[in-house]
Amino acid sequence: MIVEFLVAFIFVLSIIMMAYLVRHFVFSLTVLGILRRKELPAPKNIAYEPAVTVLIPAHNEQRVIGRILQRMTELTYPENKMQIIVIDDASTDDTGKIAEDYARRYSQIHVLRRSKNVGGKGKASALNSALGYAQHEIILCFDADYYPQKDVVERLVKPFSDPKVGAVQGRVTVLNEPQNIVTRLVTLERIGGYRVDQQARESLGLIAQFGGTVGGFRRTLIESLGGWDESVLAEDTDLTFSVYLAGFRVQYVLEAECYEEAVETWGAYWKQRYRWAKGHMQCCSKHMFKLFRSKNLSFKQKIDGLLLLNIYFMPVLAFFLWLSGISLFLLDFPQWINILWGPVQISLLSFMGNFAPFFEVGIGAYLDGRKRACWLIPLLIFTFLYNVLICTKAFFDLIVSKIFRKKHHSWVKTTHSGNGNCYIL
Amino acid sequence: MAPDQTITTFVSLFFGVSALILIMFLPALLELKKPRDAGPRNITENNSNPMDLLPLQSIEREEKHRLDNEITKRIVEIIAALPNLES
Repeated sequence: MIVEFLVAFIFVLSIIMMAYLVRHFVFSLTVLGILRRKELPAPKNIAYEPAVTVLIPAHNEQRVIGRILQRMTELTYPENKMQIIVIDDASTDDTGKIAEDYARRYSQIHVLRRSKNVGGKGKASALNSALGYAQHEIILCFDADYYPQKDVVERLVKPFSDPKVGAVQGRVTVLNEPQNIVTRLVTLERIGGYRVDQQARESLGLIAQFGGTVGGFRRTLIESLGGWDESVLAEDTDLTFSVYLAGFRVQYVLEAECYEEAVETWGAYWKQRYRWAKGHMQCCSKHMFKLFRSKNLSFKQKIDGLLLLNIYFMPVLAFFLWLSGISLFLLDFPQWINILWGPVQISLLSFMGNFAPFFEVGIGAYLDGRKRACWLIPLLIFTFLYNVLICTKAFFDLIVSKIFRKKHHSWVKTTHSGNGNCYIL
Repeated sequence: MAPDQTITTFVSLFFGVSALILIMFLPALLELKKPRDAGPRNITENNSNPMDLLPLQSIEREEKHRLDNEITKRIVEIIAALPNLES
């Protein structure tokens, strides 16, 4: 009975893994131009240059806030069409002071200070507080550690000339890549995610994801959606699906690039990915059924949305797959020599699903002209194993919080060291 | 299975897996030891096509026309080559 159950369980999990394998390969072939690309309609008004509000939420970002504000003053977008709001979210360091200094010198920069009583509750809360002060319809968001290209605003606002576009997302490039092995591996993940995954989803007319930064949205849309959901840790994923369910779409703009400062330690990596995994799982329970009931999405968008919502469950599934496989061989084949073959076969089965995202990373690096970076791809096996632990913990923590009906999930901010400054020429 | 065959299988498996791991990770170790990768991408800046910002609108037909890129480039080259008459 137990053996039959484990066999059926492994079979089902393998089918799910295979779905992701196919997805990743399809994405890779799409960006290589092998699969047909969806021709996007050209923006109707190529002189579209609306006034924009830029939101920069910042909590204890004294090491990096000056860099992005200086960059904001160097952007090529007309100054008189930009309103830049720095949300000093209950910072206890000099973030507010640095921002105020820039606000004194540049009229387009404003500072919104949040006290300890109302602030420090996460990015969604900070962004919601600034919505009321935004004067323009198009709102762009940048995290404090980011360093955009000079004409990023032009590139990000252009898609909004299409009324169907509710949000846009640009590409993220790691600034402090040479710092250490953590930053180099995070870079590979970013290359796979932005150069291949996002671009393919855009080309195939699937669900392009708003990443929460280097992106923008329509103010009236976000207001009609009730602002950002402060109970969800992944407010960007939540907004993505809300936009699509409301009948709009997110456009990914590969040419709108921005540097970011990647996490530099495995501890910081854990905290960041734990937050992403838990937030993503929250979005899954919030949006999955609405996704299938929606009349605004095509069948392929629904399938892609389903796979996207469940992506952080994959490492958890891999964990249960390993446990089930080992248990199966222990129960079914008691001879000790067969136990050695069990983990090997299970690993091969799991790696089938893992090699596909690695292929994406390789293709992304190749398209970026970074062939040597591909040599590091095998090390992503270790980040995957690490993600298995992270996502499994996030999964069980979420189950426990659901059982005990705990609604508040603490937002653990990623600490930025400002080490990326040395890589800016 | 005889014990000798079992031991042989075990040893072969051990060395085989070790070789596979070494082959898999050797390039990564070499790259970490002596990095030759180009490093962070240089984000291109100000690559906006100037024509994207200069549409001409026909008053009669209310159509938008684009300047021919080649003509505009030549005009810009000519202007750049002209001496500064004000100095």
